[in-house]
Amino acid sequence: MFDLFSDIFTYRDNALTRIDPRVKLLIALAALVAVVSAERPILPFGFFVLCLGTVAALGVPAKLVALRLAAPFSTVAVLVVIHTFVTGTTPLFTLTLGGWTLTAKAEGFRQGLFLGNRVLGALSIVLLLGIATPAHRIFQALRGFRISKEWVEVAILMYRYIFVLLDRVGDLAAAQRLRLGYRAPRRGLASFSALAGATIVHSFEQARRTHDAMRLRGYRGTMPFGPFPALKRRERGILLLGLAGILAAYAILEWGVAG
Amino acid sequence: MRAVDVREVSFTYDDGTEALAGIHFRVEEGEFVAVLGSNGSGKTTLIQLLVGLLKTNAGRIEIGGREIGSLEAEELYQRVGLVFQNPNDQLFAATVEEDCAFGPRNLNLPEAEVQKRVTESLAAVAALPLRGRAIHHLSFGEQKRVSLAGVLAMRPAVLILDEPTAGLDPAGEAQMMQLLKKLNREEKMTVILATHSVDMLPLFANRIYVLDRGRVLQEGPSEEIFRHQEMIVRAKLRLPYVSRLMYEMKRHDGVPIDGLPLTIGEARAQLLELIPKEMILPGIEESGS
Ligand SMILES: Nc1ncnc2c1ncn2[C@@H]1O[C@H](COP(=O)(O)OP(=O)(O)OP(=O)(O)O)[C@@H](O)[C@H]1O
Ligand SMILES: [Mg+2]
Repeated sequence: MFDLFSDIFTYRDNALTRIDPRVKLLIALAALVAVVSAERPILPFGFFVLCLGTVAALGVPAKLVALRLAAPFSTVAVLVVIHTFVTGTTPLFTLTLGGWTLTAKAEGFRQGLFLGNRVLGALSIVLLLGIATPAHRIFQALRGFRISKEWVEVAILMYRYIFVLLDRVGDLAAAQRLRLGYRAPRRGLASFSALAGATIVHSFEQARRTHDAMRLRGYRGTMPFGPFPALKRRERGILLLGLAGILAAYAILEWGVAG
Repeated sequence: MRAVDVREVSFTYDDGTEALAGIHFRVEEGEFVAVLGSNGSGKTTLIQLLVGLLKTNAGRIEIGGREIGSLEAEELYQRVGLVFQNPNDQLFAATVEEDCAFGPRNLNLPEAEVQKRVTESLAAVAALPLRGRAIHHLSFGEQKRVSLAGVLAMRPAVLILDEPTAGLDPAGEAQMMQLLKKLNREEKMTVILATHSVDMLPLFANRIYVLDRGRVLQEGPSEEIFRHQEMIVRAKLRLPYVSRLMYEMKRHDGVPIDGLPLTIGEARAQLLELIPKEMILPGIEESGS
């Protein structure tokens, strides 16, 4: 379960992790806009292939990628199923479920696939960004774009303490299991609610102590951030190139302005 | 000058637990003082009072000659720094470097000075190579040292540590104590630490306060503290193992041991005097300690 949050890859040194996070964030944003506004399936699918390919090239194990994509994939599946049975007119096949007759329709199926394709395209972009950039660098970049201080601060603390809390909850759950807390469903429910309660208490306690510790180092309600150096020439080049590439792909694949 | 002066201080928690009852506690500038006490004796409570996290019910606390309540936060936290027992409470940033820079940036120092302090404090705890690492990828011992660096970057005159060696392996424990000794002897930093482990203290602490159920049982240099066997037992503590051995040999076997050696070095010197020269094999390598 904790593998899901593994971020060791973001600390590796490679061509992508070396790029300024602001550049990566802007390119990712442009790519997201392109994918979400695309009218044809080819562009989102292209991003999906490109991003997953890059992730694989960076040496990220397939297991981790699968773990991260498991939830979105099931969402997409549900999306496709719902659309297939709800939208459209041309019948594909009919299902009878306990007196209910469900008709699958071609238009709905196609639309579901199209939407799912977009979702996966967008998610693969976020996945790549998350694998090429440590979380704190993303937060830093957000600060660089003058996103509200409070939000960035909350995000930083949440990100840091997810790991602490996961560790602690994992230990608590293991301790419960070792004392047969999940042996029967009834007992399992009781153990689980005790675990949930303990987690809340732990987070409050943790927050209080951390706030104390921060105050002792001069915290007065706003987190100080380091300065932002101007983007280097090379980084500006990468940014321009990335944006131009996305625009070109969009022009060719969406507007059909093939050269 | 007096770094810390605690007079007749009491503290009772909201639920009625009397954690401290009229204690006196004094630390001179440049001293290395240990607060020794069993679980629940009030060490953490005392420490939290010293940094202003708790407010006294009765009594007076002075830090560097000024009443603690009259000090602005910014002033107070450059006079006293606290290293928490659990590094997770303290390390909140994503990376080592950012955590260390937190304090100096709160002081509005120029960025060059911030970086200088980060480098110096990480170097002081032998953690420079960890600079770019993510906090949640560090081992417990590394986290302990990094949390110390984060406090050192504030350049406090008085460094207070709650159980700095708890949870460390023997090498980590020795390293931590050596680091603290170096800060104390070379950087002239006043060090106060709370602990219940007795074996290392005689090597490092100038003075020891023994705390039991919210009261100071005894105060003095380690030779004097550990001479009072019954008091040590009453405080639910023990002698350092080497002293215990010498004590038993003296008491039960009649070995004429002078006073009570507290460190291996002292014990060794005494035993060597008692063993006849001709019994000692020649040619054995001279060891350092
Ligand atoms: N938040 C609290 N509320 C109520 N009582 C408390 C609280 N914190 C500590 N106490 C009580 O105050 C007394 C002193 O506790 P303190 O934490 O200062 O001891 P300690 O010497 O630090 O112990 P340890 O070695 O276990 O850390 C104990 O009896 C403890 O139960
Ligand atoms: Mg304590």
